[in-house]
Amino acid sequence: MTENSKFVEISNLIKEYPNPYGDPFRVVEDFNLKIKEGEFISLIGHSGCGKSTVLTMLAGLNEISGGGIILGNKEIDGPGPDRAVVFQSPCLMPWLNAFGNVMLGVKNVYPHVDKATQTQIVEHSLSVVGLADSMKKYPKELSGGMQQRVGIARAIALQPKVLLLDEPFGRLDSLTRMELQDVIIEVLEREKLTAMIVTHDVDEAIFMADRCVMMSNGPRAGLGEILEIDFPRPRNRRDIFNDPKFFGYREHLLAFLEQRSHIKGDTRLFSGGDMMGFLKKGQIKDLTDNHMGVVA
Amino acid sequence: MKFTDKFKYTLLKVIDLSGMTFLSPVIRLCYGEEPKVQLQKIGQWILVPIAGVLAFLFLWHVTSGSIKTKSGTLPNPEQTWRGYKAINAHAERENLKMEAYDIVGEEREEMLADARLQLSLVAPRVVSTNAEVTRAKEAIEIETKALIEPLDTEYKEKKSEFKATALERKEFLILAAESLPLGNVEAYEKFLAEVKAAESHNEADKDELSLLKKEIDKIREIKSPDVADALNEQTLAAEEQQFLMKQIELLSDRNRAIQVEAATGKILDYKKDFLSLTGKDAYAKARTIAREQSRLSKMGDSSYAKPATIWYQVKRSVFCVFTGFLIGTAIAVPVGIFCGLNSTFMAAMTPFIAIFKPVSPIVWLPIALIVVSGLIPDPDNNPFIEFLWDLPFIGVYKINPAFIASAVTVALCSLWATLANTALGVASIDKDYINVARVLKLGFFARLFKIVIPSALPLIFAGLRISLGVGWMVLIAAELLSSSEGIGKFVWDQFNNGASDSLAKMMVVVFLVGIIGLILDRIMIVFQRLVTFEGTVSV
Repeated sequence: MTENSKFVEISNLIKEYPNPYGDPFRVVEDFNLKIKEGEFISLIGHSGCGKSTVLTMLAGLNEISGGGIILGNKEIDGPGPDRAVVFQSPCLMPWLNAFGNVMLGVKNVYPHVDKATQTQIVEHSLSVVGLADSMKKYPKELSGGMQQRVGIARAIALQPKVLLLDEPFGRLDSLTRMELQDVIIEVLEREKLTAMIVTHDVDEAIFMADRCVMMSNGPRAGLGEILEIDFPRPRNRRDIFNDPKFFGYREHLLAFLEQRSHIKGDTRLFSGGDMMGFLKKGQIKDLTDNHMGVVA
Repeated sequence: MKFTDKFKYTLLKVIDLSGMTFLSPVIRLCYGEEPKVQLQKIGQWILVPIAGVLAFLFLWHVTSGSIKTKSGTLPNPEQTWRGYKAINAHAERENLKMEAYDIVGEEREEMLADARLQLSLVAPRVVSTNAEVTRAKEAIEIETKALIEPLDTEYKEKKSEFKATALERKEFLILAAESLPLGNVEAYEKFLAEVKAAESHNEADKDELSLLKKEIDKIREIKSPDVADALNEQTLAAEEQQFLMKQIELLSDRNRAIQVEAATGKILDYKKDFLSLTGKDAYAKARTIAREQSRLSKMGDSSYAKPATIWYQVKRSVFCVFTGFLIGTAIAVPVGIFCGLNSTFMAAMTPFIAIFKPVSPIVWLPIALIVVSGLIPDPDNNPFIEFLWDLPFIGVYKINPAFIASAVTVALCSLWATLANTALGVASIDKDYINVARVLKLGFFARLFKIVIPSALPLIFAGLRISLGVGWMVLIAAELLSSSEGIGKFVWDQFNNGASDSLAKMMVVVFLVGIIGLILDRIMIVFQRLVTFEGTVSV
């Protein structure tokens, strides 16, 4: 295997937050996962179980408290353009247009390439996400879905090894959500990228991924169960949603999540005290999501 | 979209951008859009403020008469308006004088004839206003005399009466003193008490007299509004006459072209004489010719020494405030960015910011003046000052140490708002943007110029707006103290002048400063809106 290989190995990953009144607060514990090159993993679990924490640690945006992550025979250390992230909110710079927002990263990742090539890369990635006609538009002139498309274009323009999607459709309506799911699947098939998506949506998790990783409930969340999704690619939404296998996967996932709910109590029905605890840990995002489709 | 609609929306956008939103209902009404709503808005945002202004003017008019000062009552709105006209007339006349000095040929003669005509028209006005003043003074004199006379007779009567009674008491007491029984302490004490009583009687009489005297003086001091008006008219006529005479002078003998012509003729005559002379006389003539020639060459470049007019002072003040503002911004923005980026640097700066921020311009100015005059000890022969005076556009403002000190004071007092806001803007940058920057692995400068500064711009400009407002307030005080030619100096000159309309002119400045400050603020609002990005649309 070479430096450029795109497999990911997560071993004994731990995330702790300091707790002034006792032992450090462990959010994620002993999380182990091997992602094959070009594989698409979906990470599913209850709100606040640490899915996003795992993803941000992989992105390098969140410090790793224990264990390690290896990408292509190299341990990761901090963020980098080899792991592009699509955030829940598009996070576009409002003072730059779509082209400028994508160019921001390209200029930095390919500083030695001439300007024409840089422009070509930007234009290519914007047309891949279907924004060839809206390159000169500013974020405020774009709809939420279009903004997220720019976010995806910005990520793939870096030509990363791994694409990390942190609830990328959480704020979109279900029609836009489907459109963007197709965009992502198309991009991944073309670029042969390794990818990980954090989602609440069971249908999305099955439809998009090769393997569904279910996380046990936090705190001390770890890997609960892995479900192999055996659908051929390229995938067709209608075929899959009518496939009896799909319902089997769906039942399985829901059963897992429900069972976990019984074990730990329904995490969606927090008491006030628990809520405060979660707010302190910075899990507000998960609680305030506008869930569409079947919600875990 | 129809063209007219497009024009309407462009207009509305411009109005919104410039912060003059009170105009938008007028535009909408012109296009017939929901007339009822627009009329209500016009009522609220245009008619109500106008009513407020009118009420203020009325209150001002009513109360100003009862506020007495050393130089008459507080000027009412009408007198203030007259003060404005006087200031403006001075400016216009100085422009005309300058024109008169430079004008040549037929135009000069036309202007001269015109000025002479006006002078002949103003002469009878001067006579009549003089007569009016005398008449008004006499009238008030008769009036006051009638008021004073009974009081005066009363005063005189009382005075002689009191004198007589005082003498009577004195004589009586002396008589009593002669028959005091020696050794009788009681009798002596009684006599002492009688003397005391007599003395206090005298004192009371004196007080009564002086009260009466005060009343008389008060009547004498009453200023008749008729006399004030007559004096005003007289001054106006006299000023115009004086101006016309001066203009005629500048159009004739003291006109540059005519002076040059006269001097050239003189030199020619001298040369003729010179050619027929020898020896000592020839030497003396040659020297005279050389002197005259150098005078002539200087005359050719000379211009009318125009005193500062109000509009020149306004322009110089605005220029000075922008100079100080730019100096302050050049310091505040970089320092603010470093403060926002680095909490250690911020900690190091906090004491300075906390201590210097509340310092008054009155303290900074003398220090700035001393430092600047130390750096430029001889402003008349300083290459830097000479360089500034030769610059296009700003050369006419004759930058001097007082100007620089005022600008520095403005900078020192105004930079704190920008500094604090810049630091806040940089420190409070959205965490999402920082995450994006980390994923994209942006370098320090790319992060600074592509992400940090653009996202902090709205707050930076909010700070700049406050700074310019503070700077404008500070500048007027600084100019007043440093005698830097500008609005502040105008106020100081009027304060020291003490003419009958000085106070009115100072009131004019109140409005002038306010209006210019408002315009500066509006300009900054436009900039602030231009750099503020509305948040990205979220579904």
